This record gives sequence, structure tokens and C-alpha cells, in this order.
Amino acid sequence: MRAALGSALGSAATSLLAVAAMVAAWEGLVRGLPVSPDLLAPPSAVLEALLRHPDILLEHGLATARETALGFVLACLAGVVPGALLSTSALLRRVAMPWVLALQIVPKMALAPLFVVWLGVGAPCRMAFAVFIAFFPVLIGTTAGLAGTDSGALRLCRVLGASWWQTVLWVRLPYAVPQLLAGMKTAATMALLGVVIGEFVTAQQGLGYVVMFAASLGETALVLAAIVLLCGIGLVLYGAVLLAELGFARWYGAPMPAGEFG
Amino acid sequence: MPDTSALASEAVRFQAVGKTFPTRPHPLRAVESVSFSVRRGEFVSILGPSGCGKSTLLMMAAGLETPTEGRLERGGVALEGPHRQTGVMFQDATLLPWLSVLDNVLFPAVIRHIPRAKVLDQAMRLIETVGLKGFEHSRPHELSGGMRQRAAICRALVLDPDLLLMDEPFSALDAITRDEMGDVLLDLWQHTHKSAIFVTHSIREAVLLADRVLVMSRRPATVAEELVVPFPRPRSPALADTAEFAALVAHLRGVIARSMAA
Repeated sequence: MRAALGSALGSAATSLLAVAAMVAAWEGLVRGLPVSPDLLAPPSAVLEALLRHPDILLEHGLATARETALGFVLACLAGVVPGALLSTSALLRRVAMPWVLALQIVPKMALAPLFVVWLGVGAPCRMAFAVFIAFFPVLIGTTAGLAGTDSGALRLCRVLGASWWQTVLWVRLPYAVPQLLAGMKTAATMALLGVVIGEFVTAQQGLGYVVMFAASLGETALVLAAIVLLCGIGLVLYGAVLLAELGFARWYGAPMPAGEFG
Repeated sequence: MPDTSALASEAVRFQAVGKTFPTRPHPLRAVESVSFSVRRGEFVSILGPSGCGKSTLLMMAAGLETPTEGRLERGGVALEGPHRQTGVMFQDATLLPWLSVLDNVLFPAVIRHIPRAKVLDQAMRLIETVGLKGFEHSRPHELSGGMRQRAAICRALVLDPDLLLMDEPFSALDAITRDEMGDVLLDLWQHTHKSAIFVTHSIREAVLLADRVLVMSRRPATVAEELVVPFPRPRSPALADTAEFAALVAHLRGVIARSMAA
């Protein structure tokens, strides 16, 4: 236990050292080479931009974080409910899957302006776009997970005379959770992507808007500062799903059949 | 509806039961006009080569498959679907990986809405009888194959069924564990005197455990020979080392060879 903790701390320290080295190299390169700080701002300038505009960054950062979190939750619902429905009926799958797949093949960014036409330039437009981009992996994780239930366990349910609900609750759902969580991890990053694209096209608020605005003024340091904050939001959301996965793995108590730990 | 099952002297009766699976391009004839019955408290082994259709017989007795011809009675009444008073064991233990041994054993009570307190004593007694005491709170993945199958026996018996159906329950185990499990089952059955159908391709298991052995032909399965096992009860595993036992095993081996050649 102690050794495991030690090695975990050790590998975390290694990763942190690598990041620190990268940042230092970046700083050194920008200072040492004849690169204009307008093209590539050094880390010190990014830090300075973060400290110079805390109110702007906080306001837009909070908006992005709020819309991403809500978009993610809605995307999970929009994936789990139809995914569960699809898994109950082969007919439904045959009817709906071509449409779901066609939606996936369309380059989704190209549809972003349409969302503005439909929903205007406010938060509903950005969140709807985030849901649109992020729900698919959750849907696939749900259907694949529910379909992948151990056949022996299903036979056991039949022998015991379990109802459809009991079978879903006691056997199908627990077997589906690992794949569902894997889908949710993908959805976490997709939701943030969707919100940022939404901020690009609506140009009202959010860190994506800050990026566009600062870039148009040549404020590279502010662009990078906003991106650092976007990374932070993405990491927090991804980490939350990861924590849920670890909690589930502890409850599951056995090597999980699917879904990997990132 | 009056409970006629108590009046019937037969736990199960197959009357000219046949089964054809509608496979393509050719339908698969699995069982051909099988007639036999199992008296209350009788242990019947069904012995036959792999893939001869004996598992199909058992699945029909469990109510998981319906006969395409003939009549199948359970306690004097036509069998339609899984029966509440039947316990079933499969080739795999099919324990739910996220439940402890005790919770797996109690799983049938959960499905049937029987309060835990009512069956807890019975579950603990069974767990002790099969030698799993001290492992109640272990997860399946922490157990050996033999221990998992012991837990599966307890689960099949926890609601005190009057008929126990076993489909090659020890065939996934190594030879030593397998003999050991046969002994556990012999001991357990002699204490409870339930009716039982035990499908196996091990002659030793079939003879040691059963009052009567049915030898099946190749597919489609018919009863090629019926043999009453003359050894008195209670039997001990040492019986298998006697000359009389060896003679009976040799005789059955001859019967199987002839039924295969026919």
C-alpha cells in the first residue's frame, strides 16, 4: 500500500517535472530566438495576461464552464435514454440507426451556423450544439453496454423468473456501466469542444469568444491564457467522470470487462 | 388453483418429447421421442456424448426451451416456462461479479421478493455445508473455479426447490476439483433428498450420484439404455474405488460405445 502510494507520487512528480521542463524550454526558445512575442507568447506573458485580466477571464470562463457542464449532463441524458430504448427493440434499431449514423458522418461543425439560425446567439444555442456533438459516444456506450450483458447471467434471470425490469436493474445495467462510462469520458471532451465552437459562431461570450476576440487584436498571450483555462475546465470535467469510474470500479470489486482507466 | 404437485409421485415426466430447432438451411433435430420420469426424491443421471442433445433435454425440464412434440409434466401439471420450485445449475457458475458470495447465493430471493432475513439462515447453512464458510464476503473473482461452482450450488438450493437440474456443472473444472465437487454434491443431496436430473459425460459422476442412469444415443437424443444403480445409500466417495463400481462403469462404457456405433 505504502509502496503503491510512493510509486504513484513518484510518477506524478515525473509528469510534473516533464511539464515544467516543457514550459521552461518554451520560455527559453521564445526569448532566445528572434520570434516576435506577438506570434508566440512566452509562458511568462501568458501568466501575466491571466493576472492582468482576471475579471474578463473569470466572467467568460464561468460562462464556458457552466454551459459545458450543463451541455455534458444533457448530452448524457440524450445518449442514455435513446440508447436504452434502442437496445430494447431490434426494429427500432433498424429504423433509427441509419439516421444516427448519418448524423455522425456529417461534419458537425458545418451545422453550427444552423443552430444559430434555429436558436439565436444565446446560451441555448451553444449548449444545444454541445449536446449535438457529445451525445453520440454516450448513446453507443449505452447500447453496446446493454447489449453486451453476459448471456449466462440473462439465462439465470430467466430461470429465476425475473421480470424485464428486474433483469435490467440487477443485471443489464451493472454490466453496461463500464462502457457507458467510457462513452461519458469521450462526451466530456466533446461537450467542451461543442461549447467553444458555439462561442466562435455566436461571438457573444465565453472563452471561445475571448480567443477569437484576442486573436483579432493580435493579443497572443491572452489567447493562450484563455486556452489554458479551457484546458482546466476540460480536465475538471474529465476528472469528474474518471472519479465516477473509479468509484464504480471499487463497487464492482472485480476487473471490469470493458472501459479503461485513463 | 389447487396444488396438485404434492399429490403427484413424479417430479418430472417426459412423454414422447421431441425437439427440433428451426435452424437453416436444415432444421436441427436435437431430441427424438424421449420418455422417462423422475420420481420424487430420485436422482437421475443423464449420460451421453458431447453434443448429443442431453443439455436440450435439461433446458426443456428447466422451462427454458419448449418441446416441439410430446408432453412435459412437472409435478403432474404441464410445464410452461421456468418453475418456481426448480433450482438450476449450469456449466458456468454465472455469479454476478459485483456481488459477494453471500449476495450471489441470496440473489434468487431478491428476484422473488423474499425478505433477506427469511433465507439468510438457509444461505449460511448451505455455504457452510459446501465448505465456503469464511468466504461469504469474497467476490467471485477471488475464488477458484471449484469454489465458484460451490456458490452456484448454494444459489440453486437457497429457496429449497424440490427439483434440482444440473447441466454438466463440473465440466469446466480440473479432474481433481471435479471429483471433489461430486463428493460435495453427493453429501449435500443425501441430506436433502430432492429430485434431481444431472447431465454429465463423466461415468464416475453419473454412477456415484444417481439412483438411475439414462444413456443417451447420438443426436437426435433418445434413451438408448436405462440402468438402475444398485448401490445402497448413504454412499461415500470411497464407493468409487470398489470393484463393483468399476464393473458398472465398465459396463456403461460398453453401452455408450455401442450406442455411439449404432
